Amino acid sequence: MIFSALRKLKSHPTFHAILRRTYCDHRTFPLQPSRFQWIKFKDLMYFYIGIGVIPLTIITFVTNVFVGPATLSDIPEDYTPKYWEYYRNPITRVIARYILSDPQQEYEKYLHCMFEESERAALLKIEEMIKNRMEKKCDYQAYYYRQVLAKYYRIQRYNAEHLKETRGD
Amino acid sequence: MPEAQPRNIVEQFFQTMRGMLEGPVVFVREKIVEPNQQHYPWYHQKFRRVPTIDQCYNDDIVCYTEANFQYKRDKQVENEILSILRHRFEDCMMYEAPDHAEKCKDVLKQYEDATTNWFIKYGDLGAYHNVKMAYMKQKHRMIWERRHGPVGSGMKQEENE
Repeated sequence: MIFSALRKLKSHPTFHAILRRTYCDHRTFPLQPSRFQWIKFKDLMYFYIGIGVIPLTIITFVTNVFVGPATLSDIPEDYTPKYWEYYRNPITRVIARYILSDPQQEYEKYLHCMFEESERAALLKIEEMIKNRMEKKCDYQAYYYRQVLAKYYRIQRYNAEHLKETRGD
Repeated sequence: MPEAQPRNIVEQFFQTMRGMLEGPVVFVREKIVEPNQQHYPWYHQKFRRVPTIDQCYNDDIVCYTEANFQYKRDKQVENEILSILRHRFEDCMMYEAPDHAEKCKDVLKQYEDATTNWFIKYGDLGAYHNVKMAYMKQKHRMIWERRHGPVGSGMKQEENE
């Protein structure tokens, strides 16, 4: 049904002139000044207005008229405000709530990192002290000492137990 | 405060201009914006007091970090206090213009004392300092005061005995 309608459209009188005269007429180049700057200007103007001005205006209008900024108030008793309730602008509140993370959480994570690094630094300090003492006094067989790593022994033991369970003695 | 009645045609003209500019803005605000806005609160964050640097052990990094953050917050508060006192003095001076020297003495003295104290506590430490540097500054000042007397009385020369 659709194709038959389109076929009828193709043989409509208005298209005859275009289809017949395009390739056999005396075609010339139109001698007119360049319209490039004007077209480019329109492109850029519509782009920046359509993508920038209009959405931002709508967002600003809606947030200021239908939501509005918050009112400063005292913290009521036995209520700890959520971390996004410390901002006035509704857009800032949305960003703080849904995009950024809780500053209290980040603070506690940072403190934990500091603690772990300090523990590591203390261990390293002791190791350095021991090495220094051994180097100075030259009375410890550190050169011949090979550290026993229990990790590989544990792997061996696990594999041995697994084999014993599957294959037997 | 209601506006005074215009005394002549020039004042009347300027008041009419002001009314023409303010009228639409006030109309939009009161009729369209205010009824549709939601009312919800926001708060100023209250930080709990944590132990200061002089109550921390040497190797307690967590205590030191918390004391550092508290020190930075307190420094911001003290900067704002100093700014308020400065504004007070400047407003007083501008208001009392020709005879500000006598009228603003108390305000000026308050501001100068606050500035001196601020400098004792935070001055000459540099832009990127921490709470330990400030604490050490206090310690050095107290040692100097113990050896030479109050700050401003000059260093005692070595006595040859």
